[in-house]
Amino acid sequence: MKIAHSRLELNNRHSTINKLVKEDGMRIGLISSIDGSQLLTVLIDPKNGELQIFETSLESHHYPSLSRCLPSAHWQERIVWNMFGLVPEEHPRLKQVLLHEPYSADFFPLRTVSGPFEVPERPHQGQYQFLEVKGDGVYEIPVGPIHAGIIEPGHFRFSCLGEVIVNLEIRLGYVHRGVEKRLTEVNWRKGRFIAESAASDSSTAYAIGFAECIESMFSLEVPHRARLLRVLALEVERVGMHLADLGGLAGDIGFLAAASSFQRIRGIAFRMAELLTGQRFLRAFICPGGVVRDVSTAMLKDISASVSKLQTEIPVLTEMLLENQGVNDRMRGVGRVSHWLALDFALVGPSGRASGIEYDARQFHPDYPDFELALQTEGDVYSRAVVRAIEVQKSISIIESVLDKLCNEESQFFLQLPEDLPPNAIGCSVVEGHRGELVQLALSDQSGRIKRYCFKDASVNNWTALAIAARNNLVADFPLCNKSFALAYSGHDL
Amino acid sequence: MLKLLTYLLRNGVVTQTEAMLPLSEASLGMPQLSGAACLGESCKLCRDACPTDAINIVDGSSISKTFISLDRGACINCSLCIDLCPTKSIVSDRDPRTAARTRDELVLNSPGTSQHSSAQTGSTSANPFKRSIACRVVSTGCSACDQEISAAANPIFDMERFGVHVVASPRFADVLLVTGPVPKAMHDPLKRCYEAMAEPRRVIAVGTCASSGGVHRDSYSEANGVSDILPVDVFIPGCPPHPMSIIAGLMLLMDRLPVLSDRK
Ligand code: SF4
Ligand code: SF4
Repeated sequence: MKIAHSRLELNNRHSTINKLVKEDGMRIGLISSIDGSQLLTVLIDPKNGELQIFETSLESHHYPSLSRCLPSAHWQERIVWNMFGLVPEEHPRLKQVLLHEPYSADFFPLRTVSGPFEVPERPHQGQYQFLEVKGDGVYEIPVGPIHAGIIEPGHFRFSCLGEVIVNLEIRLGYVHRGVEKRLTEVNWRKGRFIAESAASDSSTAYAIGFAECIESMFSLEVPHRARLLRVLALEVERVGMHLADLGGLAGDIGFLAAASSFQRIRGIAFRMAELLTGQRFLRAFICPGGVVRDVSTAMLKDISASVSKLQTEIPVLTEMLLENQGVNDRMRGVGRVSHWLALDFALVGPSGRASGIEYDARQFHPDYPDFELALQTEGDVYSRAVVRAIEVQKSISIIESVLDKLCNEESQFFLQLPEDLPPNAIGCSVVEGHRGELVQLALSDQSGRIKRYCFKDASVNNWTALAIAARNNLVADFPLCNKSFALAYSGHDL
Repeated sequence: MLKLLTYLLRNGVVTQTEAMLPLSEASLGMPQLSGAACLGESCKLCRDACPTDAINIVDGSSISKTFISLDRGACINCSLCIDLCPTKSIVSDRDPRTAARTRDELVLNSPGTSQHSSAQTGSTSANPFKRSIACRVVSTGCSACDQEISAAANPIFDMERFGVHVVASPRFADVLLVTGPVPKAMHDPLKRCYEAMAEPRRVIAVGTCASSGGVHRDSYSEANGVSDILPVDVFIPGCPPHPMSIIAGLMLLMDRLPVLSDRK
């Protein structure tokens, strides 16, 4: 993956990035800072995966916001504010997304630069202010942070008119654990475990991203077999999670026969994960340099057997789901996100592809030759289900071809890396997890330790989409909408 | 409809018939101490590699006096220590019944050492929940633990057959299942959820994060596990714990820890 790193003056930042995104079709991958005295902007070229990292020095803790021209920047600018105290001027709605009231108001966890610092308008002073919708008959429904089902915590504030949602505000940050800071506190060799537990249901994507990020600091290529095993792990994870999400959608409309059948075949995906890595959630398998252990041909054969089982089951089951009359009635036309809004907010993953966004980080990844995109255009709950159903089958074919290659080659699966990271290096990676694009960026200090590590989970882009999709829909359809985006709270909150 | 019924009937009952089985051969499980002598000072490979500092080695005057203590409550079952140990003092444990009633019991010691922690321990009075419990789940972590609780309720493991069901409000819950390390913003919601429960009530910490904070311990988010906030009656270690381990923990709470059947 080609990475270009350059400086960009604050005066030119707005126009340069605006042009690169609007005219040259680049995407904003990540906006962050190292210690609070500069901005880092990572742009991704979706055509070939080339990355441009811009570093902009700041004189003060104010900078012009990009969000009014490039809405996809709006959430990340909030995060930068919360973590570093950097204020994006003219941001349409700056609010606290990660730190809650119990934190002291002048606490900016990742701001490490010394020198005078006048604490800006507090991101979390007093009570959090929800957007208020006024008018006759408008009432609010607060939900969360603890939900009725078995899911992560977050707060939804619905403003409703009758049964219809007028506005939904999403408040997150309940599971902010300080993952990025922790990564600067431990030896980089232990970092992969922290990356994995950022959001363990996509631990493979996080682990691969972490490994590729470190490897790109060393400018190293890992052995071919390791790359194949990583693809295998990532696709097994995708199959498992897509099946779980399809089952969840069926469960949310009370189609329990389908829901439990999906849970059952998800078990097969878990079994594949266990055969491959010894763990159902594929943890502790991928490491910088390759993978931790090889997989024997006998194991590969067992995995193959599971693949065949899935191959017979999945088409039958997805057909039963997608052609069911009740499913069509409940899911079509519900929770729509138009193509234009999806573009503006740079939606990623199945949610983006269901709204016609032709972007999947696998399309430019060297380990995915002949990759084909799953695309739908309606942008409703049904399309998101269809995209997942198609992707499961595609992943199964990828798994098959990778298994073939693995059986026919013998080679190294691991490359020993030096003890210290190269000094003052920068590394970056983009991985398509089951939720979509996951960006990671690492910087090392003079002595080869990690001085800054950032993640941008797919959910950072996609949470806005849920707020858009819920609007003008029935309150009763909200759980379905929510499920169809399969968002991560922990991946967002870190 | 007919298609669906045929499909369901063709697949029959898929639920595991035994209550508790050893984890499969492919599974790594959690580490356990085999009793084989440890090399002590000259080695310490496991201690240095452990991502959560779960291992402590107390050097004695000779090999036979060298002790390992391994805190499963901090262990994220990465299996590094098992892979590294040259003397096979640490091996993998395929018994899913890893839950314990106290934090101390999660610390495995090779004979001769003892460890004490200050974690709050739950109720010691007679157990009111022997046959059936209604559980409320509060997630404060990364969702993998939650998904394993859901999996424990799926058609394969089916915890309802042991009298465990998940309810949607603390008001009618007997047991609070907490996952995740409970970071700062969840301290208060968790307390309030507990206070909303009627007595008698019990708390189970599900997963390594919930047991000790796991990889997040001592971060600025004060995510040090459930026992910093509430008294805990059962700890279930693992990152995430296997669905059978979760069931074992629930059964332990009901004084009905199942015996381990043989894997056929
Ligand atoms: S398996 Fe547990 S005790 Fe062993 S190294 Fe990993 S985290 Fe530490
Ligand atoms: S114990 Fe592991 S799986 Fe469970 S919440 Fe913590 S990091 Fe996630």
